[in-house]
Amino acid sequence: MNGWTAAATVLLGCGLGTALWGVATGPLRRRVVAQNLSTALACPGLLLLSQAYGRPSYVDLGLVLALLGPVGTLVFARLLADELAEDPPSARGVTWAVAGLGAGAVIALCVATGPSRAMVKLLVIGALLISGNLLASRALSGGFGGAGRG
Amino acid sequence: MNRRTALLATAEVLAWWVGLALLWLVLISTVDTLERVVGAAAAGAGALAAAAARRAVTGR
Amino acid sequence: MADVSIVVALLLIAAAATVAVATRDPVRQALVLSVMGVVLAVLFTVLQAPDVGLSQLAVGSALTPLLLMLAVRKVRRRGQGKERER
Repeated sequence: MNGWTAAATVLLGCGLGTALWGVATGPLRRRVVAQNLSTALACPGLLLLSQAYGRPSYVDLGLVLALLGPVGTLVFARLLADELAEDPPSARGVTWAVAGLGAGAVIALCVATGPSRAMVKLLVIGALLISGNLLASRALSGGFGGAGRG
Repeated sequence: MNRRTALLATAEVLAWWVGLALLWLVLISTVDTLERVVGAAAAGAGALAAAAARRAVTGR
Repeated sequence: MADVSIVVALLLIAAAATVAVATRDPVRQALVLSVMGVVLAVLFTVLQAPDVGLSQLAVGSALTPLLLMLAVRKVRRRGQGKERER
């Protein structure tokens, strides 16, 4: 069991455990934020697992989650727009902390991979992850000004 | 005006095509001729879809 | 020692499934099921089945919650329509 497996297990265990607690208890605004952050935490966890098992193909799982996680959150933001409008979630500290954690994991993995096409792929996945995370949390808390109700 | 808008539309599709083709080259594992051909075709289809989507979202 | 990650993933999925069963409101249950989908994908990855994990991510993160939420909305609208007719 190397350091990458330990880091991935700790990140996934604590992160997803906290997200599960957040989605199980509390008002709706906490549950939606917890669902958003569960995908944002699982993505760097999967990237770390790919390095831990030494299989670069597992990085594709992180790529798919970085793309589809925000889509899932946007589904909830759109279909729960009425209930969230009266009690908007505000969890900017936690969101930025999770984004920072994702960035840290991606940077550590880039250093371990060394300059190559694989490192560029990791950077692309990191950029998608963080931008998707921020986009989804902004959609949850305030919505976008120009978006119509179609 | 028709020629200018046609030129802008073509430039946009080409820009999308280049960007998506570069993304494809980054995301695959080994680069050989077949991958390049498939990547160019997929990026072309994606570029047309992306330009149409952008027109649909902003040109309301 | 890679078993530790398997044990952690199994505990997470047990907790997620219990929470999903214990949640009564369908909207909240859809949120829990989305998280459970992600945990399932992690479990599949830890058990060295990344293809299954990829399919699970593709379906469980966006499609299942969408279908659930649309069904809940449709049922609620029909219920509200019937109440107004009375």
